Amino acid sequence: MKKIINLTINDQSHEIAVEPNITLADLIRYQLGLTGTKKGCDTGDCGACTVVLDGEVVNSCLVLAVQANGSVIETIEGLATDEGLHPLQEAFVEKGAIQCGFCSPGVILSAKNLLDKNPSPSEQEIREGISGNLCRCTGYKKIFDAIESQSS
Amino acid sequence: MKEFDIISSRAHRVDTPDKATGQAVYTDDISRPGMLYGALLQSPHPHAKIISIDTSEARKLPGVKSVITSKEAGTIKYGVSPARYDENVFAVDKVRYIGDEIAAVAAVSLEIALKAVELIQVEYELLPAVFTVEDAMKEGAPQLHKDFSGNLCAEVHQEFGDVDAALKESDIIKTSTMKSKRQDGAFIEMQVCIAEFDNRGVLTLVTSTQVPHYVQRTVAMVLGMDVGKVRVKKPYVGAGFGIKAAANPMELACCILARETNKPVKMNFTREQVFMYARARHQFNHTITTGAKKDGTLMAIKHECVLDGGAYTSFGIATVYYTGSLLGGPYKIANMSYDGYRVYNNKPACGAQRGHGAVIARALFEQQVDMIAEEIGMDPMELRIKNMMEAGDTTCNDLNMSSFGMSECIEAVRTGSDWDQKKGNMEPGKGIGMACGFFVSGAGYPIYRSDTYHGTVIVKLTEDGGTALVYTASAEIGQGSDTAFAMIAAEALGIPLENIRLASGDTDMGVDLGAYSSRQTLMTGHATKEAADHAKAQVLEVLADQLNVPVEEMDIKKGFIEFAGDTPDFTALRTRYIKEHRGWTDNPDSEKLTFTEASRIAFLEKGSIVGTGKYKPHDLGGKFKGAAVGTSPAYGCSAQVAEVTVDMETGQVTIDNITDAHDCGKAINMTSVEGQMEGSISMGIGEAMHEEVIFNDKGQVLNNDLAEYKIVTSMDMPQVKAVVVESDEPNGPYGAKEVGEGAIMPTIPAILNAVYNATGVRLNELPLTPERVYHAIQDYKNRVKK
Amino acid sequence: MLLPMFDFHEPFSIQEALELKKTHKENSKFLAGGTDLLVHLKKKLISTDNIISLSKVKDLARITKEENSVIIGACATMSQLSSSPIIQENFKALKAGCDNLGNHLIRNRATIGGNACNASPAGETLPALLVYDALAILENTEGKKEIPIKDFFTGPGKSCIHTEEILTGFRLPIPPANSGAHYIQLGKRKSSEINVVNVAAFLEYDPSTLKITKTRIALGSVAPTPVRAPKAEASLLGQTPEEEAFFAAGEIARRDDCLPIDDFRGTAGYRQAMVGVLTKRTLATAFEQAQGLL
Repeated sequence: MKKIINLTINDQSHEIAVEPNITLADLIRYQLGLTGTKKGCDTGDCGACTVVLDGEVVNSCLVLAVQANGSVIETIEGLATDEGLHPLQEAFVEKGAIQCGFCSPGVILSAKNLLDKNPSPSEQEIREGISGNLCRCTGYKKIFDAIESQSS
Repeated sequence: MKEFDIISSRAHRVDTPDKATGQAVYTDDISRPGMLYGALLQSPHPHAKIISIDTSEARKLPGVKSVITSKEAGTIKYGVSPARYDENVFAVDKVRYIGDEIAAVAAVSLEIALKAVELIQVEYELLPAVFTVEDAMKEGAPQLHKDFSGNLCAEVHQEFGDVDAALKESDIIKTSTMKSKRQDGAFIEMQVCIAEFDNRGVLTLVTSTQVPHYVQRTVAMVLGMDVGKVRVKKPYVGAGFGIKAAANPMELACCILARETNKPVKMNFTREQVFMYARARHQFNHTITTGAKKDGTLMAIKHECVLDGGAYTSFGIATVYYTGSLLGGPYKIANMSYDGYRVYNNKPACGAQRGHGAVIARALFEQQVDMIAEEIGMDPMELRIKNMMEAGDTTCNDLNMSSFGMSECIEAVRTGSDWDQKKGNMEPGKGIGMACGFFVSGAGYPIYRSDTYHGTVIVKLTEDGGTALVYTASAEIGQGSDTAFAMIAAEALGIPLENIRLASGDTDMGVDLGAYSSRQTLMTGHATKEAADHAKAQVLEVLADQLNVPVEEMDIKKGFIEFAGDTPDFTALRTRYIKEHRGWTDNPDSEKLTFTEASRIAFLEKGSIVGTGKYKPHDLGGKFKGAAVGTSPAYGCSAQVAEVTVDMETGQVTIDNITDAHDCGKAINMTSVEGQMEGSISMGIGEAMHEEVIFNDKGQVLNNDLAEYKIVTSMDMPQVKAVVVESDEPNGPYGAKEVGEGAIMPTIPAILNAVYNATGVRLNELPLTPERVYHAIQDYKNRVKK
Repeated sequence: MLLPMFDFHEPFSIQEALELKKTHKENSKFLAGGTDLLVHLKKKLISTDNIISLSKVKDLARITKEENSVIIGACATMSQLSSSPIIQENFKALKAGCDNLGNHLIRNRATIGGNACNASPAGETLPALLVYDALAILENTEGKKEIPIKDFFTGPGKSCIHTEEILTGFRLPIPPANSGAHYIQLGKRKSSEINVVNVAAFLEYDPSTLKITKTRIALGSVAPTPVRAPKAEASLLGQTPEEEAFFAAGEIARRDDCLPIDDFRGTAGYRQAMVGVLTKRTLATAFEQAQGLL
């Protein structure tokens, strides 16, 4: 049976009826059309579906939409503003940290969450801060560079 | 060397702002009105006769719109190469691996489609199955394909020079073996497609592919349609690495379901299905004998390889040839023999993956080069340089190195890694090793025999002047090809990169064989340059006419017209341009005539300015059987140094540093070149250290997810120093050639040589899991004790 | 991948959760972090018609210090435990287990109760719970009980929790002075791993005599459940804490305290050999900690 849930996504509130077996990832992608959140495995192994849920980065494929009732969520679409790309997004472009781009929304959200909590992470902390986001293209080097460039 | 305005820079990629913001559209992000969802029925048995298929219950399920089997799909065979079409969309008589496609359903929801799949009743007669090359080659083994006895899919026998005589003349002979494991591409975007027919019978297939062109041809052939009625479009693609370089059965099933239902149909592979479909790197079993003189001169290679091919041919015939042909370089070796066998068995088919066919042969051979160096007491770098080919050299199997900065690469990694200080002076448990490698810069011939152009490009100037539209059917799959072509077009036209708009990945835009064999930069790059030159020439011709200046005395640079002599009076042209642009406030007032003005005037005189470009390689290679495989207009090459730490008690290997130098000819985009080098290293490390598709005794993949199939994480990636070595490739656009695959070649052997340096142990099986390294160290200790 | 259809229940109290469990019995599953449960449901390895989410149950995620012990709520996540000063100060081996589970995304959801209830022989936090002599706190509608963690696991994926019970948390006695504990896991890569083998060791010594007075060693992935290594533990009592004794204990643990099997992640022989190495290493680090060096 569908359940009504309330979510705030990228500062916009939503009241939505969802089936209990729908994941947050599927809700965001297919019901709300925020397709920047990617799905690369659906089993919490790749991190492509990373979103910020109440301040913590999570695999949205392993969260039920109904579980997120009342939560505040940030997706990749929430980063850019009227001024343009978020500085971290700019850094990813500048440093060449994006190739196929399928992991990038997740990596960027993990990196942003890391920097929000720890503005000057060590190299090891940067590595750990994106350890759940698999990237098959870049070898991570330029991703580290991009994150490093935004640390204070 | 010539100075460039755009290429050779670190220009930002054209696609990454959209990728950074989540705006970039991939296939699964697309939804069509009235779209149905498809699902496949795949065989649960590795080998079985299909006695009957009953779809009646599935058809009765509310919401089901179509159920198709080979009855609807037909029995036209397809595959990768016309030399061996051995696949049907759906199994006709029997299934040959767990995952072989039997039927498909389209329904109003995925849930219903999956439920319907479960309702399809298939009666099987189980057949004995084989899962290893050893079992498959045994006498009396179950046969997968009736025309290929002994399950021998393909065999290659080649000899160049006189190997036996050269081995007799050799002072040192090394024979060793190497066994790798089956890989998976492990791209993050799983295969997905949407097929739709319009009401005039035109099919559009939107799909996550590396090769829209080949998919278009295969779809048209299997569905019995004209190629012109099939349009294949590739939105952004979450990488492919070779696995998406051919039409897959889901794409074909999806098109048939769309035809049957007259509705758009979407189909997705789950991650489990990605592993089930496979088509990634084969498992190789190599034996190589290398002979050398005391002075380090390499004399001969005797090479034998058995490839574990799986149930179908896929790229396999090309693979088994590549495996042999790409050992011909980068060293001068006059004598080489190769006996290759690709064997069918009841596992998913293998295909092409980054470094097609050549990676494990290289991993073994580069270790033998080190063994020889050690035996004669020569530095491994010296021995390599001593035998190294130079630009203009041709291998014994007729591959011509038109540019070749291999020695420069070795020098770069020697300096970059501090090799001279470190080699021989590593602490206990630490090791350093190096290796070289090279790869084609585009396959010399299309996969199907044809004189076709490998790429065509259109450059069209917008009517207002100033912006150039580049249309190419090439495939941006993450490697940065869109950016490379935009940069080439900008350079050739002489305008800023911002003034280029590029559209790619659509078969309606021309012919392009796609993203495989590291071909696009060189081949599509050539066609792009030719198209841009053509457009530019038309603008300059109009100007020549208008200003009465010979065409040869004009050029376009940085968006302005340059005159060799005095600048003529162009006031009339400017006035005309400004009149055309009433209402705009940015009218030109520069001292120089702008490209914008010139191209607007050209439009006013001639209508649309359209430049066209095309490319195909010149005749390449020798005349022997299989001579085409391995040919290329150019070859990229790499040297790498790996430094490792081995935990002697647990066998855990940590890769501390990799220093990599790659000769990519002229780098079109420096950042992208480094990105390919770093990405190649990460894939090489995965294959060397922990990647392995594991099967149970029924032929079922045990580790069919990205938790148990272990690609490199951010925690595993070592420090990497990437050094771009530029040469001037005569056959490349602006001197450019490949970087996408050559850069993976030295990674595995450099690691193996470093592990040997650290432990004294040569490992002949991959991956180097802690357990494997531990046992090798124990065996070695026991041998030493005795 | 689709999840099967189920009813979703979201109790706000333990009592309410237990009532739901009483109603739906075997046909229900508690959902904590979901990092295993939802995967298993998607892969059809398990099925259920009722999901009882614990995320709204108050206090289940609390970490509370009592006089001589610390109560860790079953729904405390790995990240929460790793960053908790109480855990960092008192339970370094547990922190090491939490730090090594999966990756940063999984650690933000995965809970200690979930890790225990999954009862995987490879569970990252379980060896630490064993060496800290944790008590599992179980409740049913009748009341509460605390049982020693070593009696909690009954087989791969199996624990002693009854159908109508809930694991609300663990009680961990605060380790005495002059003690230390460490955890090491061994896998193929450095993140997102599933252990080939893991070991935790606890060691307490008397600085005046320089003898080991207490030790607990736990081994993972070498038996149907995480297990203690009684023979190795016994061998250390009264010994001087030094390399030789740690090595000897490792040899005993390897030989007498485990019975691993071959699977696709590793062979029994290798697992056994690594029990020796990791036992020695965890003891050595535990001793350094006990001396206040770490």
